[in-house]
Amino acid sequence: MHPEPPLIGQAVPRKEGRDKVTGRARYVDDLVFPGMMYGATVRSPVARGRIRAIHFDENIPWQEFTVVTAQDIPGENCVALILHDQPCLAAEIVNHPEEPVVLLGHPDKHLLEEARRAVRLETEPLPAVFTIEDSLAKKEIIWGEDNVFKSFLVEKGDVDSAWARAEIVVEGEYETGAQEQLYIEPNGMIAVANPDEGVTVWGSMQCPYYVHKALVPLFGLSKDKVRVIQAETGGGFGGKEEYPSMIAAHAALLAWKAGRPVKLIYDRAEDMAATTKRHPSRTRHRTGVTRDGKLVALEIDFVIDGGAYCTLSPVVLSRGTIHAAGPYECPNVRIRSRAVATNAPPHGAFRGFGAPQSVFALERHFDQVAKACGLAPDEFRRRNFVHAGGTLAVSQVIHENVDLPQLMERAFAESDYHAKRARFARENRDARVKKGIGFAAFLHGAGFTGSGEEYLASVVAVEATAEGRVRVLAASTEIGQGANTVFTQIAADTLGLDPELIDIAPPDTAAVPNSGPTVASRTTMIVGKLVESAALGLKQTLVSSGLPGERGGPEGRPCTSEEFQRACAEYIRKHGALRATCQYAPPPGIKWDDEKYQGDAYGAYAWAVYVAEVSVDTVTYEIRVDDFVAVQEVGKVIHPVLATGQIEGGVAQGIGYALYENVVWREGRMVNAQMTNYIMPTSADVPPIRVFFEENPYPFGPGGAKGIGELPMDGPAPAIVNAIEQATGASITRIPVTPEVLMEALEGVHA
Amino acid sequence: MNVFEYANPTTTKEAAGLLAAQWGEAEILAGGTDLLSLMKNYVATPKRVVSLRGIKELSGITSSASGLRIGAMVTLQELHDHKAVHDDYHSLAHAAGSVPSPQIRNLGTVGGDLCQRPRCWYFRNGFGLLAKDEKGQPLVPAGDNRYHAIFGHPGGSPGAYYVHPSSLAPALITFGARVKVAGPKGEREIPLASFFATPKREGERENVLMPNEIVTEIILAAASKGMLTATYEVRQKEALDWPLATASVALRMSGDKVKSARIVLGHVAPVPWPAHEAEKLLAGQTITEDSAAKAGEAAVRGAKALSGNKYKVQLARVAVKRALLEAAAHGKEGMQHG
Repeated sequence: MHPEPPLIGQAVPRKEGRDKVTGRARYVDDLVFPGMMYGATVRSPVARGRIRAIHFDENIPWQEFTVVTAQDIPGENCVALILHDQPCLAAEIVNHPEEPVVLLGHPDKHLLEEARRAVRLETEPLPAVFTIEDSLAKKEIIWGEDNVFKSFLVEKGDVDSAWARAEIVVEGEYETGAQEQLYIEPNGMIAVANPDEGVTVWGSMQCPYYVHKALVPLFGLSKDKVRVIQAETGGGFGGKEEYPSMIAAHAALLAWKAGRPVKLIYDRAEDMAATTKRHPSRTRHRTGVTRDGKLVALEIDFVIDGGAYCTLSPVVLSRGTIHAAGPYECPNVRIRSRAVATNAPPHGAFRGFGAPQSVFALERHFDQVAKACGLAPDEFRRRNFVHAGGTLAVSQVIHENVDLPQLMERAFAESDYHAKRARFARENRDARVKKGIGFAAFLHGAGFTGSGEEYLASVVAVEATAEGRVRVLAASTEIGQGANTVFTQIAADTLGLDPELIDIAPPDTAAVPNSGPTVASRTTMIVGKLVESAALGLKQTLVSSGLPGERGGPEGRPCTSEEFQRACAEYIRKHGALRATCQYAPPPGIKWDDEKYQGDAYGAYAWAVYVAEVSVDTVTYEIRVDDFVAVQEVGKVIHPVLATGQIEGGVAQGIGYALYENVVWREGRMVNAQMTNYIMPTSADVPPIRVFFEENPYPFGPGGAKGIGELPMDGPAPAIVNAIEQATGASITRIPVTPEVLMEALEGVHA
Repeated sequence: MNVFEYANPTTTKEAAGLLAAQWGEAEILAGGTDLLSLMKNYVATPKRVVSLRGIKELSGITSSASGLRIGAMVTLQELHDHKAVHDDYHSLAHAAGSVPSPQIRNLGTVGGDLCQRPRCWYFRNGFGLLAKDEKGQPLVPAGDNRYHAIFGHPGGSPGAYYVHPSSLAPALITFGARVKVAGPKGEREIPLASFFATPKREGERENVLMPNEIVTEIILAAASKGMLTATYEVRQKEALDWPLATASVALRMSGDKVKSARIVLGHVAPVPWPAHEAEKLLAGQTITEDSAAKAGEAAVRGAKALSGNKYKVQLARVAVKRALLEAAAHGKEGMQHG
């Protein structure tokens, strides 16, 4: 199949789709190395304690095993990320259940589980903290001086003096639970490591250079002695952002000691219990409005539970903080936010990265504020939406031509919102199964927050071979989201080439430049733009050295693939390698103040209005989402099928977050780390998700695209719970809304 | 999963000979939908796995004037699709068809459904069926018990709090099903209502089978004419999960009045739970919103909710009411068609 150019905007076949469908794609557990051993991890059974002794049951032939403890670490005992506070293997103190303490290696993987159970940690318990409130109250200091990993204060206008002008003040408190990413492929790594060759790891991951950064100090090696290669990866959703560094470190430590390759693959239960999940949160809102529903003051106190170590919590908190006031204009805003420590496994990156938590609170709260003003929820929002030229809470002036009322109208037209809302209100009186329709309006910033992209300074290279094939070199990973396909479309369009001639180099830190982590809705918008610029650079080199004609072809027509191939061969014969690189530079006019937390938090935002329709059995408390409409403005859609898939997948994950996915904690341990107990929606629980895009090209994105990966995670939960409120009258303030939560709420209503 | 020996016998007798005299030494593999996850989680660590797939005599459904004989290796999908089951044992066909997903229905077997192990979190996390702490105190009443029993548990004392996971047992019991089992000493037949048992001590199982006995078939008496049946399940989600509460009802009618009723609840007790009070209450009644609601009330009268599962009392009550109304609605459809 040869799609006509331009490819941007077309649903071209997925670059790696054929390999995945035919089984040719090689995931980490498909890789087998000669002489390979298998690894297992002995974890802390307690939430917090001092390690007194490690006992090895004498019935196990330990001489056959490789046993690694903290003492075997050649360099610094930490998983380097933002801070170096998280040990790779606990040495004296354990700070959360499932914390790794001992590693075991054996050539027969069937013998590992029994051995793992035969290692007993003798610990002296220390007092532990399990809730946000206990951590804030410093019931016990478990991290730093005050249990706080990070705090932010965002100020706009003067909130304290604004309350006097508020005619109505509405307060509320909202909570969200943890959520497991549930990628299809569990985490896993293979390592080859010895003092002569250094350390090489292959595995499932989003961010090869994060793993690289963690392995260098752990082994005390120079950067060129550490190599990280991504294997085919079956989903990430943020869950393979930071924890793969830990697993890579463990596999490499075992391999280093054993002198043999080591494979370390988690099964589902271990992956669910031990690796990162979405941060639980608690948000307090105090909102002042005039009688006609204009925002006067917004005061938000946003707290997330970071678990036992800092990991990425400061960055998650940052995004959650900036998104906490939504797409609204309010002259006086104060957002105070904190990420606090508890003795649970560290919470981490998960699609949305703090925003789903704070957006849930805001969009639930604004339905309450609307009610207090006697306004319909949509009218209240209409009166407060930010417009082009307006400013967000972080004092960012919106230069995009955003039209939220129009997005809302489209979402309402597609969902028949007004007619249904009226009909449900009428029919619910006598119905056992009550229906409701609700919505949420929100935004999601693409790329790293504030000056993050400048610090990352990502690099992409594009090179051509003498055969006229083009290779894109980037550390950005294909994790099922379609990065390789999108990069191919961008490079092919820029060079006027058949997409079959474009190759995407496998992410390998020895071979590709650091284009940054595959996170934060940044891969298409930020890295894609670098691909475009590098490809353009390559083409200009060819044109200046004789590729025929202006814009690469005679008489203004694009050059043919044959002409391009001839030009490449010619250039390489004369000059050697043909390669262009491009490094990130911020769009003009972008300013961010890290101290005051003010300025251009993101280069661009995606904007959205989602409408959910639900039915609620008021006797059995069963909730069904019957219909879902997702309208968003995302710049330019590069690949309609992949983009729609991103939205549908995010909405399904959002339905799980809202209604089903309940991590049950017992003293810092997830006790339902099995898919039969941790309930996630299946295709039978997900309604038709109707996805609509509005296109408003962003001048600094490739082909006009903005990022969308995380956006669809933000809106479903508040839209669904707003719909439940219309159906039942119950004003539920926490998710997930399981049948038990709904029962409690409904008993409150009827009482 | 631990290393194990795999046996693939071709006769029931051979299979019974391969089983051990102690629980846990050998496990029976039917569809494998439960055993594999138990083994992967090291809840079951058998030295030998005895597959029943090669035993022809355990397959197939035979319909005769005296009723139905359902082989233990009949899959849930085969049961659901069978014409006689569909026509005469409606609530059973419905229960089989409601087991999610198609993959499980195509692999899971009737015998396996009756013998699957409880879904209890404590059991699945290695705390045993009776889930006691080191001092012998029960973990469930003090811990998270949202999916646990509201009937048949000892309320704060050591004992069983899990709920029996069978999807078919409630409907089968309303039809008076009998189960045939084979062991080294030959065959015996047990009413299904007496097949399930609550273990007294750790190591015992949730039915009366000996460790070396195999369920070979289910026997159903011929369906009586005009019997109205229904199964109603309340679920948190639509697929890949067990119900929170189930009610199966079978009504023998005399005109529009109930002559006698059988009502059995599922997922509310360590065994399928008969609702005798509700059954008595319905004798001589017509099924209306009111009488169905009263039967629901009667069905949960003895319920003892734990700290976190009060909602299940409500679900059980509603399941009985809705099952009765559905059964009655089938009756009306039947008359219209007839």
